[in-house]
Amino acid sequence: MTAGALTARRSARRARDRTRIRPLVVFTLVVVLAFFALIYSRISLDRTAFDLQQIGQELAAEERIHWDLRLELARMNSPQRITEAAAGLGLVYPEQRITIEAPGVPSDATYAAKRWTASRSLLSELP
Amino acid sequence: MRRVIWRVQDARVVVLGLVLILAWSGIGYRLFQVQGADAAELTQRGFDQRVRHEEILPKRGTIYDRDGIELAVTVYGSSLVADPALIDDPAAAAALIGPLIGANIADVAVKLESDGRYVLLARRLENSQEAVLAAAIEESELDGFSFVEELIRVYPSGSLAAPVLGLTRLDDGAGIEGIEAIMDGTLAGRPGKRIVERDAAGRAIPQGELLIDPATPGSDVILTLDREIQYTAEQVLGKTIDETGSVGGSVIVMVPSTGRILAMVSLPGFDPNDRSGLDPATLRNRAVADVYEPGSTLKVVTVSAALELGIVEPSTMIETPHEVEVGDEVFEDHANFPSEMTVADVVAKSSNVGTIEIQRRLGNEQHYAFLDAYGLGRQASIDFNTEAAGVLDHYTTWCRSTCGASAAIGYGIGATPIQMAGVYATIANGGEWVEPHVVAEIIGPDGERVVTEPRRREVISAETAGLMLTMLRGVVERGTGRRASIDGFSVGGKTGTSRKFDVEQGAYSEDLTIAWFVGIAPIDDPAIVIAVVLDSPIGVLDDGTQLKFGGASAAPVFAAIAESALNQLGVAPDED
Repeated sequence: MTAGALTARRSARRARDRTRIRPLVVFTLVVVLAFFALIYSRISLDRTAFDLQQIGQELAAEERIHWDLRLELARMNSPQRITEAAAGLGLVYPEQRITIEAPGVPSDATYAAKRWTASRSLLSELP
Repeated sequence: MRRVIWRVQDARVVVLGLVLILAWSGIGYRLFQVQGADAAELTQRGFDQRVRHEEILPKRGTIYDRDGIELAVTVYGSSLVADPALIDDPAAAAALIGPLIGANIADVAVKLESDGRYVLLARRLENSQEAVLAAAIEESELDGFSFVEELIRVYPSGSLAAPVLGLTRLDDGAGIEGIEAIMDGTLAGRPGKRIVERDAAGRAIPQGELLIDPATPGSDVILTLDREIQYTAEQVLGKTIDETGSVGGSVIVMVPSTGRILAMVSLPGFDPNDRSGLDPATLRNRAVADVYEPGSTLKVVTVSAALELGIVEPSTMIETPHEVEVGDEVFEDHANFPSEMTVADVVAKSSNVGTIEIQRRLGNEQHYAFLDAYGLGRQASIDFNTEAAGVLDHYTTWCRSTCGASAAIGYGIGATPIQMAGVYATIANGGEWVEPHVVAEIIGPDGERVVTEPRRREVISAETAGLMLTMLRGVVERGTGRRASIDGFSVGGKTGTSRKFDVEQGAYSEDLTIAWFVGIAPIDDPAIVIAVVLDSPIGVLDDGTQLKFGGASAAPVFAAIAESALNQLGVAPDED
């Protein structure tokens, strides 16, 4: 067998080997990529779960603040506190009551309309 | 034959090999144990360590007044706990923590010096208090203290309407008094549960085992109470109790057409936010639980029954000698009246003798029928589990001689303030009795609203009710209730004074009384009915009037509360 023929046979064998190995390489590559993709997706899921947990905690904290503020509001506008604050400012009940009649209110007017008319006429008398 | 010669090195190799074989055998055995034989048990043990079954506490429903203002609200708070084993200087820690939680320093020190690993130092801490404590603990670099989250019930208006609202137990949050107790099933909600995997630090493990059955929050309860009117009523009654030396008192402000109670006061009261030194006697809601003889305030039943049945008219003349003998007992009037008076004057002047004569004409059977129809002798409302039914014996058991006469003027019959408010609301409402109630509606967690529909029944005709209103107006204009008048508004009502029964002596007290006033305003178009009761008022006014009488002590309470309430409700004055 000549050297040329030997070289040609070797080349042909290598070509056959390459053809045989290529799918294996591709398969291995796909498996490795899938493995990393899986890891990545798990990490992403974990991260999202942590984010959700964080959001849940923030939601709970905001809810606490919400109820604390509602409680504070109820305390702030309680009659006891306002009465004490008013007394501290020197506000007292008037000794004499003055009733102001607002003319022009139709008898069938709604309560709100009557109150508004009375308030408006009162306001217009202020300096 | 070839002889094998063992060298020292060979022996070492063999020993090393044996050691390695043993080691690997041990590892293999352990591996077999862990992964094979005990695998199920160990897996379960690990699972049990990570997986926690937790109860999710439901948020208790809020109690609102009629304007949607919180009267009782559940917020997230915390408890302060300590591990004494981690505290180096208990005395110094107690000196720092004690004042911040309002506790005695020595008591805190005793707890911190105990042998346990867990001591509870303070409960019901609000977030602001927790923040102050946490800052102080951090600044002092104290170890061994931590906060445990808990739901706490807070009453933003303090003692306002406390006997009506009641309170909850500290440990499990269940209602034990008042609306908190009777509506507990509605307010409490349903606990949920959570199965979750947690790491050593207590954080939930992502992708771990997780199952959540969420808690169902309690329903909200909207009351008919008006916070401002309630406050005014409490202030006025409290001031009067102080001035008259009364043991206690109660007030009910009610809308006659709807039965809605705008204010219900029972004094002395309590602050549900401060349980220290709580007197159990103050938990009682006197407005529904205390039974008194209503005295002259009950005369309206006698007179309205006689009017309804056509036995008398307002102008009918009734003989009114100063005293009358019924059976073996003598009944007399509190003042000298003309020998004859109209029925209207009998009511206005509150003549015992005249009322007894009207009752004699009415008869026990018919009198009883109206007392029953007005709601006496049975609970007036379904909103109070502690409500007393009062005392109303069937007329067939009444004594032949004096029971009818006594009942005519409000003795021998026991009534609660809410029942008497119901009687006068019936008259104010054109003769129809409407169930008094404080729960306006319930709002479920899904937003579903259940509005209270009060029971109703006709007791007297609208004509009779109108006549009674006119006569009650006379009581305030020219009778015993003058101190109940209000500038700008027409007012009607009836005074009542009954001698207090001394249980220990088994007889009526000579000095102590129950002072009543039940009034309606404006009398021409009733917007409110107010019942006032003072227990044992004493003292004398400048003009010599004794405060033990309802007209002297209870009527001014009505006037002050009615004036404020009418203003609050936006009712226009109807008189110059």
